[in-house]
Amino acid sequence: MEAAAIPAPAAQDDHHHGPPVANQSSRVNSEVLGILLFIISEIMLFGAFFAAYFFIRVVNADGWPPGAGLPVAVAATNAAILLSSSVTMHWTDVSAKRGNQAGMRIGIVTTFLLGCTFLFIQINEYLHLGFTPKTSASASVFFGLTGLHGAHVIIGLLLLWMSAVRIFKGKVGPANYKGLEVPGIYWHFVDAMWIVVFTTIYVL
Amino acid sequence: MWVSLAAIIVVASAIGIGIMLAISWFPAQGSNVAPKIDTFWNVLIVVSVPIFVSVVTMMLFSIWRWRQRPGEEGLDGPPIHGSTKLEVIWTIIPTIIIAALSTYAAILLLDIQAAPAKGTRVVNVNGIQFAWNFETKTDAGPVKSNLLYLPVNEPVTFDIRSKDVIHAFWVPAFRMQVDAVPGITTSYSLTPTKVGSFDIVCAELCGLGHAYMRSTVTVLPPARYKAVMAGLAHASAAVGGSK
Amino acid sequence: MASKIRQAGWYRALAFTILGIAVCIGLSTGLRAAFGLNPVYDGTAVLQISLLMVPIFFLGGIGCFDYWLRWASGRKVVDDHADHGAKSWKDYFKVNTDHKVIGIQYICVSFFFMFVGGLMAMLVRAELAAPGRQFVDPNTYNGLFSVHATLLIFLFVIPVFAGIANYVLPLMIGAPDMAFPRLNALSFWMLPLAGVMMLLSFLAPGGSFAAGWTAYAPLSVDAPIGQAFFTIAVQFAGASSIATALNFLVTIITMRAPGMTFFRMPLLVWANFSTSLLVVIATPFIAASQFMVLLDRALGFNFFNPAGGGDVLMYQHVFWFYSHPAVYIMMLPGFGIISEVLATRARKPVFGYRMMAFSLLAIVLLGFTVWAHHMFVSGMPNWVRIPMMATTAIIAIPTGIKIFSWVATLWRGVLKMDTPMLWATGFIAMFTLGGISGVMLAMVPLDIHVSDTYFIVAHIHYVLFGGSLFTIFAGIYFWFPKMTGRMFNEKLGKIHFWLTFVFFNLTFAPMHLIGVQGMPRRVSDYAEQFATWNMIISISSFILGLSSLLFLYNMVASWRSGPKASSNPWNSLTIEWQVSSPPPIFNFDTIPSVVGGPYEYGVPGAVHAIVGDPAKDLVPAGAGATEGHS
Ligand SMILES: [Cu+2]
Ligand SMILES: [Cu+2]
Repeated sequence: MEAAAIPAPAAQDDHHHGPPVANQSSRVNSEVLGILLFIISEIMLFGAFFAAYFFIRVVNADGWPPGAGLPVAVAATNAAILLSSSVTMHWTDVSAKRGNQAGMRIGIVTTFLLGCTFLFIQINEYLHLGFTPKTSASASVFFGLTGLHGAHVIIGLLLLWMSAVRIFKGKVGPANYKGLEVPGIYWHFVDAMWIVVFTTIYVL
Repeated sequence: MWVSLAAIIVVASAIGIGIMLAISWFPAQGSNVAPKIDTFWNVLIVVSVPIFVSVVTMMLFSIWRWRQRPGEEGLDGPPIHGSTKLEVIWTIIPTIIIAALSTYAAILLLDIQAAPAKGTRVVNVNGIQFAWNFETKTDAGPVKSNLLYLPVNEPVTFDIRSKDVIHAFWVPAFRMQVDAVPGITTSYSLTPTKVGSFDIVCAELCGLGHAYMRSTVTVLPPARYKAVMAGLAHASAAVGGSK
Repeated sequence: MASKIRQAGWYRALAFTILGIAVCIGLSTGLRAAFGLNPVYDGTAVLQISLLMVPIFFLGGIGCFDYWLRWASGRKVVDDHADHGAKSWKDYFKVNTDHKVIGIQYICVSFFFMFVGGLMAMLVRAELAAPGRQFVDPNTYNGLFSVHATLLIFLFVIPVFAGIANYVLPLMIGAPDMAFPRLNALSFWMLPLAGVMMLLSFLAPGGSFAAGWTAYAPLSVDAPIGQAFFTIAVQFAGASSIATALNFLVTIITMRAPGMTFFRMPLLVWANFSTSLLVVIATPFIAASQFMVLLDRALGFNFFNPAGGGDVLMYQHVFWFYSHPAVYIMMLPGFGIISEVLATRARKPVFGYRMMAFSLLAIVLLGFTVWAHHMFVSGMPNWVRIPMMATTAIIAIPTGIKIFSWVATLWRGVLKMDTPMLWATGFIAMFTLGGISGVMLAMVPLDIHVSDTYFIVAHIHYVLFGGSLFTIFAGIYFWFPKMTGRMFNEKLGKIHFWLTFVFFNLTFAPMHLIGVQGMPRRVSDYAEQFATWNMIISISSFILGLSSLLFLYNMVASWRSGPKASSNPWNSLTIEWQVSSPPPIFNFDTIPSVVGGPYEYGVPGAVHAIVGDPAKDLVPAGAGATEGHS
């Protein structure tokens, strides 16, 4: 009985205008942790499509590649484009931390345009492949994985767009920087995922 | 206290096992697999009942012995936080039980799914929405039918296929089941051991008519089987010839 | 009117929904015209695109995105907490960022779907009362049990736990709210959309989705358009549960009160931590499986088309890689609830606290290694089946540790056998049975015989009804005074328990028998030999169904006019009970500080946390009180 003898505070009189500030019980910042957990989820989503890839290509031995060979050179170029966009993204981050407004602006625009170029090339590749998802299960897997990645590029671009708007309105700087950091982490993930997709689909 | 608790658990377990074994759980034993599965079931009962009885007895005893009585409203129990000894015990004992049961099950599985001997009779089982049809080769020629006939005490292998959706070929009396999966052939082998008619059931939801996707397997003495198959072969040939 | 439409709320949601439908029609016809498809207007295409997009328009209309969009466009955002707390019942129908309001929203919506899903079970049992056709045709029947299962899994058990945790978890760890309150609101609002979509499927041409909650390909690929409602609704339910899980994880990791180390967390927090890990990692797999079905259905992909080289079994692998962990997603939070209830009502520390926490993590880990036990008759070779049997059986060990520890918690306590406690102890008995039949099912040779029979139906209901639902009832009764500030009717609660307990067993225990005897599941008609048992089961199930009305009445009547509850009617030590009932709008004046373990009952002067005025000098319990063992 004594164990529970702490009195509860009486019903609140309304002298508070906001909640108390939460205790920060981890060194990791909550937004960053949030996006990292989300990325784990995203990796698992890709994982499921890689499972499909594994079953159809390896277990079921449906012919690979679908169609008459995949345009590896185009995809490699695309990989180079995305990787360089990661570099410019990082540069944008660094500029933001240093408060370099011009650097931020150039960085985010370059990153955004590189992302758009990737998408453009990818869609163009789709149109010239010579097969469609209806052709075979391998083709379905090809479109499933690259399409899933393409959808993530689009989401990434949307996030970059938001960051860009905020950068151009002067809302991002060394003190106010999470709105850029979080989309940045996501963008790096999208880029890294392309390397995995590229390797499994085009190279192996 | 401990002695009487142990006695209660032993007696209650014995009664529980008795009742559970007395229940007639399974349909008729129609194949060589059936007695093995039924024995395994009995073993599972003998192992499971004491576990359930122990948990429930200890719980009911605690409730009976230490339920809050008038005047005890403000009391707390003793601050017992745990006991490493107990925790080790109730980790190790289940581990042993689990290991033993899994080993038994694995051996049994390898036994009932052993590869059939060469020359075993093959029946092609085709699941279609919503019926089964069976094809087999006999001395009198190939036979196609919607009812399954088998000779008693002769091993048989079922090769099971589907062209539309997944079905499952289950003969409860045989205790064997496997899905009919589009794109692959699944199979199992067994020996019917009992003359008579048994239900064939589709056990995997396959659409509108799933509930009605039932058929019958008739297990016959070898001589009868031959006669029936000869008749069916004749009929099948007539159908095939008229095409 | 115009101002009403500009403001976030139901008017704008309605306007946006109509706008969304128009956009989808435009998009579909536009795309079809661009690709030269004929006819340009295709109802099925419009319907599928609408199912995907209109909910997002609705969410925008109701106001889930306002803050983010304003922020993203670089405009000024003020967090004035105007949408915090609920002043009248109407506030529960608005987008609200208060975790307590969202918790109640979650609980009420999921119980609504429990009653709808339960009603479907009643129809199913009416049809099964006798062999032959009674009330519904096979298509409707298949739809009924499919929607029943889907609603109760995705719209009841999973979200109701999220609701309970939403309410009590931030309080328990001494946080003012969840880490992402607006994401929290969004995850709630996706839920009723998913549920309504599932119900609307009954209006679809060809009937509702009818391939079971498992929606095995290729049956689900060839099914009429109703199936798309399942495929897409699951995406929203899944997105909702991923977002909530992420929110819980971040909240637990970054927002614990000072002194709240991981091993001072109440086990409910541990349970939700483990569950959230499962959700974040596993749920994308069901999303993917349904995406693939959708692509096969709508765009002619070949994932599951064997003629095109597709793999039918792949669906089951991907599906069960989520759906096995899903059974733990539906059980672990309940484990947490039981630990809270038992410790408080037995007035004793939870026995083996650390092992309780570790066994949760063990279940999470092992849960990912057993999915193929649902596929023992799918045509897999023995080298896959035997390891999966072993891993499945091993899960019985951490689960057993939990059950034995709960019983040991009761030992020598001072047991107050009130309603929450009845549900908790009832749970232990029923879940033990469900666990035992689970181990039996893990044994491949037996599983071969009983796969897809009523034995499975019995097992899953012992685990999800006798297991999860019993813990949900325990939790709802336990925290009802905290949530509503009123006491429920104890007598009605007890009658509710005993009616449910008795008729639950009369309903589901005989199913073990008829399953082993040879009755397959998911059938609207069955062989004559099962008629007697089915009649008994049906009658019991109707009484079981009626007993839930008692619960409904008790909750509604007590919420409206029950006696006022004190802040801590159960004399609990955990933090949520140290604030008023219901808690103040921002939970705490100042963040509490945690000074000891959560279950130090019986330790003289033990304190878990100092809540309220820190100036009041309270002596923390000795260091020994925080250790796992004494
Ligand atoms: Cu069927
Ligand atoms: Cu499972």
